[in-house]
Amino acid sequence: MSNNSTVEQAERLSRRRARMLPFLAIIYLTQQATFFAGDAPPGVRDVDHVKIGAWLVLSLVLLLAIATNGFWFQRREIRELIDDENTRANRASAMSFGFIAGMLAAMALYLLNQFEPVATHEAIHIILSAGLGAALLRFGFLERRAHRDG
Amino acid sequence: MAERLGNNLKDIRGELGLTQAQLAEAVGVTRKTINTVENGVFVPSTLLALKIARALDRPVEEIFAISPD
Repeated sequence: MSNNSTVEQAERLSRRRARMLPFLAIIYLTQQATFFAGDAPPGVRDVDHVKIGAWLVLSLVLLLAIATNGFWFQRREIRELIDDENTRANRASAMSFGFIAGMLAAMALYLLNQFEPVATHEAIHIILSAGLGAALLRFGFLERRAHRDG
Repeated sequence: MAERLGNNLKDIRGELGLTQAQLAEAVGVTRKTINTVENGVFVPSTLLALKIARALDRPVEEIFAISPD
């Protein structure tokens, strides 16, 4: 495969990721609504174990995708090209944004716990979702902005 | 006074008749990175600035300069 097609392929994949990230973040965050909407405490019914398992797997995949740049099944040259300097800077900014969002969620929950008890699994769920969701949204925003004005 | 890194990348690239994609390929980055550097959205590392200068065959200070914000 020629170098030109490698560059074009990396460009195409990078654009696709920029388009997909905000949708992934929205899907991930709206999934939380179903978690908290149930009447029974999570983990009581068998279906809750499946739901929590699916959420954990999705969280892990998204975390690895944002931390390692993803595209695990692409050729090394393409992976390196997609993860160029600008992308690395955007990823670092997104990770930092996600960390701050997670910390703010933890502080808010600590404060809320003074007035109303918050279950441990709920607190973990909210902190993880806030951190990961914010990082995904930020990365998506930065990547889309970088692709604009071409 | 705040300062930022200005650049003449777009003008020089235009003079040489290169597209963003062609310059990106010569430097070994995606077009997105060239685009963000040109627009001042992204400040490149010294390494990337030198690679761009080499690809354009110009001294780095001719392409990049400190400018008041």
